[in-house]
Amino acid sequence: MCTGRVDPAMVAGAFKKGLDGLMVVGCYFGDCHYITGNVQAKAKMDITRRLLKHVGLNQDRLAFRQCSSGEAAVFVNLVSEFDQRIREIGPIGGGGDPVEAPDIFRKMETAEAVLAGEKIRWVIGKRTPFLESGNMYGEVFTQHEFNRAIDMIIVEETEVQEILRELREGARSVKGLAQALTIPSERVFKYITALKRKGMIKLDKVSDRTPYFQIIPQEG
Amino acid sequence: MPDQNEDIRIGVFICHCGSNIAGYLDMEALEEFAKKLPHVTFVQRNLYTCSEGGINEIKKGIQEQDLNRVVVASCTPRTHEPLFRSSCGEVGLNPYLFEMVNIRDQCSWVHMKDTEQGTAKAKDLIRMGVAKAALLEPQEPIISEVTTRALVIGGGIAGMTAALAIARRGYEVVLVEREASLGGMLNALNQVGPTMMEASDLVQEKVKAISEHSRITVFTQAQVTEVQGFIGKYHADIETESGVKKIDVGVVIVATGGRALVPEGLYGYDGKRVVNQLELESLLKGGLRPDVQNVVMIQCVGSRNKERPYCSRICCQTAVKNAMLVREQNPEARVCILYRDMQMYGVENEEMFRDSKKKGVRYINYTPEEPPRVEDGKVQVYHALLGRHMDLPADLVVLSTPLVSHEDAETTSQLLRVPIDENGFFLEGHVKLKPLDFATDGVFLCGSARFPSNIREAVAQGLGAASRASIPLSKGSVEVEPIISVLADEDACRGCGLCVALCPYGALEIQQTEKGRKVHVIDVACKGCGVCAATCYQHALSINSFTDQQIGAQVDAFLAG
Repeated sequence: MCTGRVDPAMVAGAFKKGLDGLMVVGCYFGDCHYITGNVQAKAKMDITRRLLKHVGLNQDRLAFRQCSSGEAAVFVNLVSEFDQRIREIGPIGGGGDPVEAPDIFRKMETAEAVLAGEKIRWVIGKRTPFLESGNMYGEVFTQHEFNRAIDMIIVEETEVQEILRELREGARSVKGLAQALTIPSERVFKYITALKRKGMIKLDKVSDRTPYFQIIPQEG
Repeated sequence: MPDQNEDIRIGVFICHCGSNIAGYLDMEALEEFAKKLPHVTFVQRNLYTCSEGGINEIKKGIQEQDLNRVVVASCTPRTHEPLFRSSCGEVGLNPYLFEMVNIRDQCSWVHMKDTEQGTAKAKDLIRMGVAKAALLEPQEPIISEVTTRALVIGGGIAGMTAALAIARRGYEVVLVEREASLGGMLNALNQVGPTMMEASDLVQEKVKAISEHSRITVFTQAQVTEVQGFIGKYHADIETESGVKKIDVGVVIVATGGRALVPEGLYGYDGKRVVNQLELESLLKGGLRPDVQNVVMIQCVGSRNKERPYCSRICCQTAVKNAMLVREQNPEARVCILYRDMQMYGVENEEMFRDSKKKGVRYINYTPEEPPRVEDGKVQVYHALLGRHMDLPADLVVLSTPLVSHEDAETTSQLLRVPIDENGFFLEGHVKLKPLDFATDGVFLCGSARFPSNIREAVAQGLGAASRASIPLSKGSVEVEPIISVLADEDACRGCGLCVALCPYGALEIQQTEKGRKVHVIDVACKGCGVCAATCYQHALSINSFTDQQIGAQVDAFLAG
């Protein structure tokens, strides 16, 4: 078992349930018992941290650190520092985060859904080839370009998951969603069209010349 | 998923470890706490759970209390998990229905001064262990047959030694050499220290033994171009002059060696009046010209610098040996070795070093800040002890250059999916615990492919690698821990191959099945790191004994505290 096993969705899920801090400690690069598992782990945690920050969590709550199994003093320092930092920030949603409780837990649930979702996981999985050998057209991305793409996906995926969460509570119109979620209505319209095409939502009714959409229950 | 109707009966054994745990934690509180945890039907404290008495208590618990999950809260699984697991197995409980909690290293030892906090943490860990145990599923060991044939890549002294050792144990060996003849770097050497044996005698002896051995097949001017498979079942393509040969082997030994750095552009190197040690070897072989009366050797040329920070270790002994041989051939010759530090490890080398001084070889220390200067017919050096510059006459300047990694090292590393370090040498599984194994099972290494080594070390490593490689060959099968990746939800898998590209062990492949393209886990190759399961966007892959549900239950149990 390797830090590479740490599933980003699991991380958001733990914060959703009230975790105050999470430190993933892996081997040094080039010294990984599982060859490159720690490289994958760091990439996953970096992206997870970007997303959690975007939805309103203090980014210091998720740390990725490295030390070897022979470095007891280093490990103690890492843990003590992290422990101190989390004590400074305080309990999740208690003022140390941009979003406070209980909203923070709803945000974490959204983050969990994003991180369990296809799009972001695909891009996380493709990170190494994108940065090293290039995509199918042979285009190699810089870390900066990759981060920009990730940030865009984070924004979009978060908004989509928030729309789906609203729709799970009942049929909504584009305008209603835009107001409730403070997302510009043209973006909501774009997502609704895409979700409809994917067969995830359908037209519920047209009331007062405004279409309302409802979620199609998914199997499994 | 575990059988929903199964009646989960968990037994928790809490070890005192003498006073190692009991001296610092509130054991009674732990026992009472464990009794109240869900599915726990039996709790017992033991003085030493790992003693015969403690083991019998576990067995008795399984038999008399009808336990179907066992949790031991004690020391580290690194040393004791195999024992507890097999004890469960001995009385018919699947060994993978066992979970271990480390309340010694993680609680009593690190929180010795705080019984309350240490005990609280032990409670957390036990609660998490029990939560996971309830979801554990039985696993069966994975056994795979081994093709009893070895592939040795590289026909130098290390590779030849390894090939002979394996063949003499009774297994077939395929030895692949890229040059036209076996022997590797040894072919270019004169006499080898400290015994001063003729290198050509050593090569001939080995080559003869190999050619006479019926179980060794040698391919010269050949290269391994493709390797597929995993321990016990490797398939290799060997490109020879007469076409590509396909062979099946169980193990692979990498003995591709290194090469001496040619110091182009350093100290006026010209390969004639300024040569490296390897070239000096061939000069000595042919007999030195009698007019070579002043020889200056410079150590650490092209090594221990920014570009190559490592010490090549063997150049000092080579220089000392060759200095003495120069004086044997031209007894009046003045030989001077300019060094930074003499690396003469080992009793014989120390002896040879002292001997060389008696025989008149001179040593002058220089610093990298003020390196020697090679000029026409002389070498200027700053003598740190005398505090002045000296001019040493030089008919021949010999540069001691390091062994560097072979040009093919990177290709070979990609072929076998094994790592190389920043200097291009192959990286062993663990510097102390697995020095001749790669992290990948069934692939071994020896000789200068690993790091510059002298003949003696190359031979020892060749024998060592052969010994390591013989273990799976003699067993005829390999048993692998079943804590590996599994395609838990075949329908969900879309055969996209995302996981295949990320697997560091080549343990995943896409197969065409009745249900379309699906990933297939090569169970003997998988190490269970879990990268694939944490990446799959369809959540189709899972890791035995570390499923999302099991880890989730542990997280929940932690947060419930």
